[in-house]
Amino acid sequence: MVVAIPRSIRVVASLLFTLIIPQGLRKFNNCIEFNFGNLMKTVIDLITIALPVLYFSTVWAYAKAFFKDSIVAKRTKTPLLLGTLVIHMAYLLMRTILFNHPPITTMFEIMSIVSFSIAAAYAVIEFRTKAKNTGYFILILAFLFQTFSSLFIEDLFEVKPILRSNLLGFHVSSALLGLAAITISAVYAFLYLMLYHHIKSSSFGVIYTKLPNLEMLERMSILSIVIGFILFTIAIAVGLIWLPRAFENFSYFDPKLVGTAFIWAMYGVGLGAKKTIGWRGRKIMILSIIAFAVSFFSLTIVNVYFSGFHKFY
Amino acid sequence: MNLLAVGINHRTAPLDVREKLWMSNDEIRKAVAALKGNPFSECFIVSTCNRTELYGTYDDKGNAGAPPDTNSLKDFLINLKARGDAVTREHLYTMSATGAVNHLFKVASGIDSMVIGDIQILGQIKDGFNIAYEEKATGNFLHRLLQSTYHVGKRTRTETTITEGAVSVSYAAVELAHRIFSDLSKKSALLIGAGETGELTAKHLVGRGIGNLFVANRTRSKAEELVAALGGKIVEFDALQQMLGQVDIVVSSITTQKFVLTRGDIQRAMKERSHKPLFIIDISVPRNVDPEVNKIENVFLHDMDGISSIIDQNMQKRKSEIPRVNEIILEELTEFYNWFNSLQVNPTIHDLRTHFEQVRHEEVEKHINRFSQEDRELVELVTKRIVNKLLHLPTTNLKNGSEESEEEKHKKLSIVRSLFGLHKERSKKE
Repeated sequence: MVVAIPRSIRVVASLLFTLIIPQGLRKFNNCIEFNFGNLMKTVIDLITIALPVLYFSTVWAYAKAFFKDSIVAKRTKTPLLLGTLVIHMAYLLMRTILFNHPPITTMFEIMSIVSFSIAAAYAVIEFRTKAKNTGYFILILAFLFQTFSSLFIEDLFEVKPILRSNLLGFHVSSALLGLAAITISAVYAFLYLMLYHHIKSSSFGVIYTKLPNLEMLERMSILSIVIGFILFTIAIAVGLIWLPRAFENFSYFDPKLVGTAFIWAMYGVGLGAKKTIGWRGRKIMILSIIAFAVSFFSLTIVNVYFSGFHKFY
Repeated sequence: MNLLAVGINHRTAPLDVREKLWMSNDEIRKAVAALKGNPFSECFIVSTCNRTELYGTYDDKGNAGAPPDTNSLKDFLINLKARGDAVTREHLYTMSATGAVNHLFKVASGIDSMVIGDIQILGQIKDGFNIAYEEKATGNFLHRLLQSTYHVGKRTRTETTITEGAVSVSYAAVELAHRIFSDLSKKSALLIGAGETGELTAKHLVGRGIGNLFVANRTRSKAEELVAALGGKIVEFDALQQMLGQVDIVVSSITTQKFVLTRGDIQRAMKERSHKPLFIIDISVPRNVDPEVNKIENVFLHDMDGISSIIDQNMQKRKSEIPRVNEIILEELTEFYNWFNSLQVNPTIHDLRTHFEQVRHEEVEKHINRFSQEDRELVELVTKRIVNKLLHLPTTNLKNGSEESEEEKHKKLSIVRSLFGLHKERSKKE
């Protein structure tokens, strides 16, 4: 099995071979490439199994730190998360190199990317804000996505040529990052409502003592929505430029397009209402959760049960 | 260990008795000066409204090695301040040696305080010690003891959570505000009524950097006093409804028969403030604010019931930290004892001999191969002799120091220890 490695890497590699490695060794070029591919395949298989385990341990550490105040967990949680992220990143890169296409061609490849985006976005939040205690609630979603991905992911070497476009990469990555952002927004909205309820009803347990304050939760949830909305806008704009050119059976009334437009409008109206009417606190947080639920429905149900040109798997 | 402690605290005496024994700094100074030399070689006094304690060490030589009479020490404390028969010997407790050290560590850690985890006590111990230091009533022993005491205090604060969580109404209220708002400096608070708890709460809010403080009181002069002390602005009592749109925190503590704030008031205010969260603390009994108000969206109303449940919970949490504090105390006790023992003659001689023997042994081991089989035994013998001869005089000199005072003996021993690096060896062994 000779594996196709992206041209740029091949060029750099062969340059290295001509410049540094003596003539006699050059014959090994193909040989090395062959072994390299095999090795990479084994490593990818191993990481596929390892990632859910890694995410589980990370979530476990965050839960221990949040609920049990464990000192060991507090010390290990963030290094564990960063380690998992590095391995996940390497995994995605290796898949891209080995299978010669970015891992966006099946729902389960996409789930892995969503999982990575959620965990990475949380890592940024943890380093930039004081909300260090919320990891458990967010990373558990990353764990679930990655577990589904690892269970059902397939190794596809052959994909539709249309899925190798550069614009597509841009389109999909902004959409997925947007999805990660609204997921995080919904989690913070959920935490907001929990804390809101706890304070209102004078129950001062773990939720009361450990979560960031209401104002901060609301701010982070809304910031995530704004980021998600911008990313969705980019994804839709790129899609509208590229889709009509790429597909013969393109239609503006494709279920997925209609769904997406609806979601986009919903977030837009919500943000507008916040700005103009001054919706605050509980109301806007409930809206965020509803909007996320609808988006998730659109991502899964529409993909599985409706057919249209915007369906690849 | 010739340490003795005599004292009074909330366990042995009611407040009106305890406060009779409370001493000002000047009184402490006088008492320390009186006790210094006789019966104590070193001593210091800690005095707060909840406890007054006297710690002292005595010499072996004076009084034929017997400890000072505890009853006369009790009488000394009683007669120093309290006239009349309010305070009796039964109100006071005495402790000696380990018991006294253990007690001092407990006091410093806050687990012996009336409010568990009270952080002020360590500062008060420092103050008491500083006065004694100025009076030249402290020496080697107390210095080291206090060093360990501060260490206990510091470690309980950093390694346990015994000082965390509000255990007073005013702190709990401010803590609650922090669960709702992230930056108090951008928020405003309105204080209704100038009662004691309300004032304390306002004080804590100012301490946490509240942006604006408004005070409304039926008697304007009292509000003026408060504003003069804490800063802020006065609001006419009749105009306080209009303020609700502008403030984020309302603290109400006024004695009144009917509600000061009704559901209608707050609903109107919420519209005016475009539904920004409003936090209301009602710390008066009977209540000032209609409980129905809590049903309005983005309004958080808490009364004394809620606040006291926070306090109970925090108290429980503090109590659950006591075993961890005790571990720290035990560690520090051991450490202190090691130090104390090291200042005794015999352990020092033992350590000194072990050190020399170790050096000798290492050197012989290193070079033994250069000697023939039959010479090796001889080398052992000779080197051992040299070491013994070298150590003979220092050993007898250390042993013959009995007519020196405790202080001089300690000094001598610690010089020997630091010269030969014996402190390090002791800790290495552990």
